[in-house]
Amino acid sequence: MPHSIKTDNYFSLLGIPVSFAIDKQVLISNYHELQRSVHPDKFANASDQQRRLSVQKAAQINDALQTLKSPTQRSIYLLSLFGIELGDNNHSIDPVFLMEQMELRESLSQVNDKADPLTELDAIMAKVKLLIKRTINTLAEVFAAFLQDQPVQQKQDALLKKATSETLKMQFLNRLQEECLDKEEDLTA
Amino acid sequence: MALLQISEPGQTTAPHQHKLAVGIDLGTTNSLVASLKSGLAETIADENGQHLLPSVVQFSGKNETGYQTRVGHQAQNNAAADPLNTISSVKRYMGRGLDDIKKHSIYEFVTEDTSVVPRIRTIAGDVSAVEVSAEILKTLKQRAIEALGDELTGVVITVPAYFDDAQRQATKDAARLAGLNVLRLINEPTAAAVAYGLDSGSEGIHVIYDLGGGTFDISILKLTKGVFEVLSTAGDSALGGDDLDHVLTDWILVEAGISDPDASLLRTILDMARKAKEVLSHKESTTLTITLANGENWQAELSLAQFEQLIRPLVRKTLTPCRRALRDADIEIDDIQDIVMVGGSTRVPLVRQMVAEFFAAEPLVSIDPDKVVAIGAARQADVLVGNKSDNDMLLLDVTPLSLGLETMGGLAEKVIHRNTTIPVARAQEFTTFKDGQTAMAIHVVQGERELISDCRSLARFELRGIPPMVAGAARIRVTFQIDADGLLSVSAREETSGVESNIQVKPSYGLTDGEIETMLKDSFSHAQDDIDVRKLREEQVEAKRVVEALLAALSEDGDNLLAAEEQAVIHQEINELIEIAKGSDQRAIKLKIEQVDKVSAEFAQRRMDASINLALAGQSVNALNHKKTQNNKGSDND
Repeated sequence: MPHSIKTDNYFSLLGIPVSFAIDKQVLISNYHELQRSVHPDKFANASDQQRRLSVQKAAQINDALQTLKSPTQRSIYLLSLFGIELGDNNHSIDPVFLMEQMELRESLSQVNDKADPLTELDAIMAKVKLLIKRTINTLAEVFAAFLQDQPVQQKQDALLKKATSETLKMQFLNRLQEECLDKEEDLTA
Repeated sequence: MALLQISEPGQTTAPHQHKLAVGIDLGTTNSLVASLKSGLAETIADENGQHLLPSVVQFSGKNETGYQTRVGHQAQNNAAADPLNTISSVKRYMGRGLDDIKKHSIYEFVTEDTSVVPRIRTIAGDVSAVEVSAEILKTLKQRAIEALGDELTGVVITVPAYFDDAQRQATKDAARLAGLNVLRLINEPTAAAVAYGLDSGSEGIHVIYDLGGGTFDISILKLTKGVFEVLSTAGDSALGGDDLDHVLTDWILVEAGISDPDASLLRTILDMARKAKEVLSHKESTTLTITLANGENWQAELSLAQFEQLIRPLVRKTLTPCRRALRDADIEIDDIQDIVMVGGSTRVPLVRQMVAEFFAAEPLVSIDPDKVVAIGAARQADVLVGNKSDNDMLLLDVTPLSLGLETMGGLAEKVIHRNTTIPVARAQEFTTFKDGQTAMAIHVVQGERELISDCRSLARFELRGIPPMVAGAARIRVTFQIDADGLLSVSAREETSGVESNIQVKPSYGLTDGEIETMLKDSFSHAQDDIDVRKLREEQVEAKRVVEALLAALSEDGDNLLAAEEQAVIHQEINELIEIAKGSDQRAIKLKIEQVDKVSAEFAQRRMDASINLALAGQSVNALNHKKTQNNKGSDND
C-alpha cells in the first residue's frame, strides 16, 4: 500500500474508494442504505440507549455525506487524511488568481449602478461557475496523480502543495459565489 | 391500569400484535388526529361526525380538582361572548416571549419572576401556551382512544418546518402534559409529502407550499425509492391565514369608522373577516354586516378584487422564502415535478394563482389541504411504532435555521448551518482566558444574521467544574447535537483531564422541568391521578421496552456477536429487571434499567456496527471493482 492513512475514514464508512473523483450516485445510494439501518426512525420505540446510539451513528453518517458531497469539503478532508490542515495559514496562493478575484469582487460591488443589474450579475456568476469547474477538474487530476497505485515519490510533495493551493482557491470561489447569491436575493426581493 | 406483559426469555411478546399509534396535526386554527385503518390513513371524527377540532380552548373557572375547559366548536361559539377566557390561535404563542406575542393579541399576558414563559390571564388562573395546547391534545387523545378502543402506544405530532428549537420544545412539553408518548415531531410539509408520495409513488423533486392559519413553510423534497430527502426548507413562523383575517379586520375597522373596539366586538369582526375570506374562495363578492355600539347596522359589499388587493402584499411575502429554498436546494424551477398545496389558506384563489405563476406549474390539491398533514403523520406513526418492519420508507429532514454561538463583540458564529440533514452533531473547542477559571458561559442562538441581537436566543449554558489550569490550557470540547425531532442538546468535556462539565441549561423561552412537574401536579386531569403512580407506570413501560428490544436483539444476533458467557450475563440482568418491574419501586426499576443498559452497551455498539457493515456488503464490492474506471466520472459543483 503506497498510502498509509487510517482505514476508518469517511470514504470507507460510505463504501467508496479514497479519491477526489467520486461516483455521486453510488455515494448517495450507499448513504441511503446506511441510514436505513441506523436512522433514529428505526429505533423510535427502542430503549433510550439504542436511541442515543442511533442518533450518534446517523449524525456521523450525515456528516460523512456532507463532507464528501461537496468538492471543497471533500478536498479539505482528503488533505487532512495526509496531514495537511488548511487552517494552518502557511499556504501560499497564486497572485494572478488573487488579482482576478479582486476584479470580480469589484464588478460585483458595482452591479447595483448598472442599467440591468441582474444581467450583469448573471455574467459574473457564469464566470465564477466556470472558474469553479476548472478548479474542480484540476483538483481531480492532481489527486488522481497523487493517489495512483505506483506514485512517483519525488513528485508527491509538489502534488500535495498544488492540491492545497487549489483547495484554497475553491474556498475563495465558494465565498464569492455565496456573495453573488446574496446579491441576487437582494435584487429580487 | 394496563399490566406489564413479559414473555419467557428468548421470545418476544406477540410479534404481530398491532400497536396503536396516531398522527396529530396541532394547527393554529384547527387540529386533527388520524390513524391507519386497514392500510388506509384516515382522520378520526368526533361523536358529531366533525373531523376538524377548532384549536380553541375556553377556561371556565376553577373547582377543587383544577380548572375546567371546553375545547373545539363549543369554545369557538363562546369566543365572542367570553373573549378573554377563550384562547384561539395559541400556536402563535408557543415558545415565544412577551415581546413577540403582544401584537394583535386581545389577551391579557402576565409574566412571573420565576418563569420566562408568559401566561395568559383567565378566570381559571394564569395559563401558558403549553398548557392551552395540552388541552387540545388531550381532547384529540380522548377522541382517538374512544374510536380505536385502546390506549395509544405513541403519537407523531407535526410542527411547522420553520419552527425553532423553543417552539418545538414547547410542543413536546404540551404532549408530555397531555400524557402522550411522542414517537417523533415531524415537519408539516414532510408529512404532507408522505401523504402524497406514498399514493402516487412518484420519484423526483417535489415542492410543498404550506400556508396554514399562522405559519408558512416551503419545503423542497427529493423522493428516491421510498427515501424522502428534504433538500431545503424556508418559511415564516409568524405568517398565515390569520394575517389575512387581520388585514381585512383592519380594513373593516377603518371603513366602519370604529376606532376603539372592545375585545368582544374585535372578536366578532375577526370571525366575520375569516368567514368573508372563506366565502371569497368560491364567490365573487360577499356582504359584511356589523351592529355598532349605538345600535345601528353598518353594511358593505366586499368584492374579490378588493380583497385580493388587500392581501396581495402578504401573499407576495411568501415568495421570498420560496426563492431562498430554491437557492439552498441548488435546483432550478425546471427540475420541479409538482407543487403540493397544504393548509386551509391555500384555498384562497390568489394564493394558488401566485404560486402557480412563480413555479410555472399547476399546484396539486387532490388531498384535502386541511387533512393531508394529519394523514401523513398517521402513516409515519404507524411505521415508527414498528407495525411495518419490512417498510423501507425513510424520512431525512433538515434543520431550518442555523445554530450559532455568541462570540466577542456580540457576533454569532455558526456551528450548524441551516438545511443540514438531521440528526447532526458538531463539536466546538473552547478555552479559558483566566488562570484557574472553573466556569464558562455559552450563549446559543438560532438564525441567519450576523449580530446576536438579530438572532433568536435559544439558551444560555454554564459549564462548571472545569479543572483549574493556567489561562488557555484547558480544552473544553462542547458538542451540539440536533436530534431527529429537531431538538438541541449539549454536552461538554474537558479534553486534557477528561472531566465531564456540568451543564445548566437556561432556556430563553421555555418551561423548566420543574415548571412542567408542577403543571402535571396541578392540571385537572392528573389531580386524581397520583403523580407517583404515573411515574411508576412510565418506568414500567420503559422497562418493557428495554426487555423486549433486548430479547429481540439477542434472538437475532446474540449467537453471532456475543460469547455464551456474555449472553448469560445479559439474560441474568434481563430476568432481574423483569422481576423488579413487577414490583412498585420506581427508583429500583430505574436503577436496574441503567444496569441493563450498562451490561448491554457493548452488544448494542456491536450490533450497530454489524448493521452498518451489512448495509454496504453488496455495494462496497461494486464500488471497489469500479475504482479504476471512476476517475473521470462524477462531475460535480459546489
